[in-house]
Amino acid sequence: MATPQNRLHKWLIGGPPLAYLVVFFAIPVLIMVLASLRNSGDFGGLAPLFSEESGTLDLTTENYGRFFSDLIYTELFLKSFAYAAITTLVCLVIAYPLAMLIARSAKKHRDLLVLLVILPFWSNFLIRVYAWMIILGPQSVFVSALNRVLGTIGIEPVTLLYTPFAVIVGLVYVHLPFMVLPLYANLEKHDPALLDAAQDLGANAWRRFWRVTFPLSLPGVYAGAALVFIPALGIFAIPDILGGTEGIMIGNVIKQQFLDTRDWPFGSVLSMVLTVMAVALAGLAAWVARQSRT
Amino acid sequence: MKKLLALMLFVSLPALSADELHLYNWNDYIAPEAVKAFEAQCKCKVVQDFYGDNEELVAKLAAGAKGYDVMVPTSNYVAGMAKAGWLQPLDKGKLPNFKNLMPTYLNTEFDPGNKYSVPYAMSITLIGYNDQKMKELGITVDSWAVIFDPRILQKIKGKVTVLDSQAEVMAAALKYHGYSVNDRDPAHWQQAKETILKAKPYWAAFMAQGYIKELSTGNIWVVHGYSNDIFQADIGAQEAKQKFRIRHALPKEGAVLALDAMVIAKTAPRPDLAHQFINFMLEGKNSAALTNITGSGNPNTEAMQFIKPEIKSIKAVFPDADSAKRLEQLKDMNKKERKLLNRIWTEIKAK
Repeated sequence: MATPQNRLHKWLIGGPPLAYLVVFFAIPVLIMVLASLRNSGDFGGLAPLFSEESGTLDLTTENYGRFFSDLIYTELFLKSFAYAAITTLVCLVIAYPLAMLIARSAKKHRDLLVLLVILPFWSNFLIRVYAWMIILGPQSVFVSALNRVLGTIGIEPVTLLYTPFAVIVGLVYVHLPFMVLPLYANLEKHDPALLDAAQDLGANAWRRFWRVTFPLSLPGVYAGAALVFIPALGIFAIPDILGGTEGIMIGNVIKQQFLDTRDWPFGSVLSMVLTVMAVALAGLAAWVARQSRT
Repeated sequence: MKKLLALMLFVSLPALSADELHLYNWNDYIAPEAVKAFEAQCKCKVVQDFYGDNEELVAKLAAGAKGYDVMVPTSNYVAGMAKAGWLQPLDKGKLPNFKNLMPTYLNTEFDPGNKYSVPYAMSITLIGYNDQKMKELGITVDSWAVIFDPRILQKIKGKVTVLDSQAEVMAAALKYHGYSVNDRDPAHWQQAKETILKAKPYWAAFMAQGYIKELSTGNIWVVHGYSNDIFQADIGAQEAKQKFRIRHALPKEGAVLALDAMVIAKTAPRPDLAHQFINFMLEGKNSAALTNITGSGNPNTEAMQFIKPEIKSIKAVFPDADSAKRLEQLKDMNKKERKLLNRIWTEIKAK
């Protein structure tokens, strides 16, 4: 029975997140939808909504036409997809053992270890990415040592900076904490008694992990994957800084529309496609997570 | 009512009384001592904000940014900014030092009669190179071929960067083919694109700024970049006690000249201070201070006597009359051309 008080409680609990979604998601997306249907202004921005000559509503679907008639943008989406997918996988492989280590270490150390994972956030993101320029640069200790080792076994010296490899390194580095934290939050809650039971029943270490720990940690995996994949998909700063002549992602093209080409409507179209894809993926992740739980 | 009035007064008071000049300028594009000297003279404070690209400035203004007094766009943006109603006409009566400027840089097609803009400093988009490496490899750097010709590029593969700018890279490629930087013929653009795509595998990266450090450390040997940045790279190399120097080369085919100019925003809170500032920067000594720290070209006759001789002797930045003739300013493009260029650029970067 919904008493007035009940209803008030509902609003108090549900209101703020709803308001958050409306203000920070629904309204911006609506603005973008509108912008994607308009013409671009001469100096950036948008052309007047009502055309100056005829006074009629000046809307167009031409910007979408441009996206769908030219394969190059789809290609770039696919490329960004590949970058984001590789990043997510590498993050998962690195973050899982780390999260497990933290979750299984003594309780008094856990907070410190989690703090260490978050620590890099205290310095600016761009500075951290610039640091990688030095680490991956041809004169760094790391690269010259690597090339000396390669030289002794007869392999040509490699260049790491300004390659797709450097972009992946940067993407993984920046997004790693977003994978570690949800995984840790999940793994920490596992009941050790389950593993003891499995061991008593004769399961070896691998089997205990694969049949008990991993399936239980799947919600954490999905959450981490979504938190890494979606931001990695739209990023532009890392390919700008670490990528070479072939490192660009769709985020760079979107940035270009706003900052170089003064084509906000087309930038909005690309952003719309990106948003739709991100929402679809988040939906898929949520659906998979629910399926695996039931 | 009284309360409301008092409140309004309170709100508007800081805006009236703040003796602040809001300068929106390129990064590192004013001598700190000039700022200090101006602050002492006007008994005001200079509040600086920075941009790295004209498009950034325009995008910000298009989005409705207000509160700036003086801005320093490149000349070719002035016409558009004036047309968009973002600038206010200058009061020449308040700018007695205007007479110091060289006539060559006045009354350009971008601002006839200098109604809105006053030349500040200039840079040339040219080639910067590591003199030691080029000598070792026997490469003469005097043409855009160093950036675009695969026969030369194969010797310096992965040691070359070009600007991360669709307009600049296209302009350089057009010049390489002997066209004007403002050529709009789609067939010529296509030709330039082919040239760029053939050269691209040899380039290390498209870089907007990072090449300064890369030149100084010796990681990169040849760049397509701005003369001021190449000057900074040379200073960096000397500070790091490198065995090489970074030199400027003005390609014989010609290059892009960017003449930056001071303008006053229409919404400037303090046009009085803005005029004072512009006049101050036109004094020979203050104008030279900028060139002495940034290595920029200088349009001010009175400044010449204060410029360090080692900077004045860089021929690429202070070109003789003959080379100066081959310099061109980029003109603004219309919407259609910009879209086409971006389509080409996206293809260049995605391939």
